[in-house]
Amino acid sequence: MKKIICIFLFVIQFISIEIHAHHSFTAEFSAERVIELSGVIQEVWFKNPHVRYLLQVEDEDDKNVTWDLRGSPVVWLARKGWTKDRIKKGDEITVSGYPGHDGKKMLSIIEVKLSDGSTLIDKAPSR
Amino acid sequence: MNWIFKNKLSLIPILLLIYTNCMPSEIDGIWRISLQDSNRTLIGDLEIETTESGLIGYLEGGPIDIKIDGENSIEIIADSRDVRGFIFNRRMTGTFEENFMSGTYQQEGAAAQREEPGPWSAVRYENKVVESMIAEHPDITGTWAATQELDFRKYTMSLTDKGENWLETYMPYYDQPDVRCTSIGLPALITYSFPFEIIESEGRLTMLYEYQSKVRRIWMEKDEPSEFMPPSRMGFSVGKWEGSTLVIKTNLLEKTIRDFRGELVSENATIEERYFLSDDGQNLNAIIILHDAENYKKAPIRRRQWVRNKATEIFPYSCDPDSFYIPMYQENKMQMYIDRSELRF
Repeated sequence: MKKIICIFLFVIQFISIEIHAHHSFTAEFSAERVIELSGVIQEVWFKNPHVRYLLQVEDEDDKNVTWDLRGSPVVWLARKGWTKDRIKKGDEITVSGYPGHDGKKMLSIIEVKLSDGSTLIDKAPSR
Repeated sequence: MNWIFKNKLSLIPILLLIYTNCMPSEIDGIWRISLQDSNRTLIGDLEIETTESGLIGYLEGGPIDIKIDGENSIEIIADSRDVRGFIFNRRMTGTFEENFMSGTYQQEGAAAQREEPGPWSAVRYENKVVESMIAEHPDITGTWAATQELDFRKYTMSLTDKGENWLETYMPYYDQPDVRCTSIGLPALITYSFPFEIIESEGRLTMLYEYQSKVRRIWMEKDEPSEFMPPSRMGFSVGKWEGSTLVIKTNLLEKTIRDFRGELVSENATIEERYFLSDDGQNLNAIIILHDAENYKKAPIRRRQWVRNKATEIFPYSCDPDSFYIPMYQENKMQMYIDRSELRF
């Protein structure tokens, strides 16, 4: 059963992750903690100014909850091989990231684990 | 006589107070500060003034908290915005002498881009103009990929009343031009961590920015825009070589925001950029100064570095604002957005 795994991944906080945030992340997301979610992709927007996925997750009461996942611009993800067809509607994924403030069901993506075992990291090219 | 003597004595504490608060202290002036993160070096201008209300300081044109204790202990706290968009502080503590200060710093607050504690130092800034003997200017053409070196990414700036009043009305995210695919313009575009390409042709340099697929022309042989050229967020840019440094001055700008905080850039602003290559020619460094006295008490400064990278291509950047408008509609915020139309540009 898929459940919201709301684990504080403090270890991740100490890894330098660079992604491009082209809007006010402080206003929307909290850097205080990192959470992990598992679920099924409902919708995909693979477009600039930032990609967006809707993820259906079963909560602890077995109810379906939709999370709004936000990622970097397409151009940055594409450089790392994260292209449009890597995550499609219906795919089962596990994603970690920074949650929205005040319990808002939003997540700023750090890393996505795909069902084939591969991992996509939302990290800007430093060079 | 006795009365005068008595009253003169009573003035001594007052005079001392005036002296200590109003006279320039030995720390006053402009310093060049550098800070060593675990894998990069940041550089900035640190300005310190003694005023009637005490010691005040600025880093890259933005206000900082500064305290001196005892004979020569100093503490500086400066805010910054990490590459992911989170705001944090750097606390620098140490000691100062007449022409040198140094110590250690640490990051405070939750940030995605973690910095290990490290050393910092500062020396008196001397604005020496070094005349280059090079007859031909260096070749800066090619594709450049951004690094995260040099830039303190100072977050808050020292605003005028007009600038503060504007900021109070600004709504982060909802008022930001580029989230709805509208041009962010200068100076923000220059500071974003996307690659850009420089092409040289007769009388001009052309800069192709990946972000928002923007084209910028730097005119090397004319000083004035063509008649009726409209203002824009890319402005009108004139370039001159000062030895091996390319100096670009830009005006004819349209209103935009300076950075993610939403501080205003007025139509009367000018931007000064200074580009120079590293000794090995593999890094392009830039200092970007925004002159906008309507909104800023001190000119905001950013520094950027790019690395020459033949493997980097400028990717196309098509933009679809659905990811902005659809969630806003779903959250019943569309009317709020429409009601604020006059506040956006």
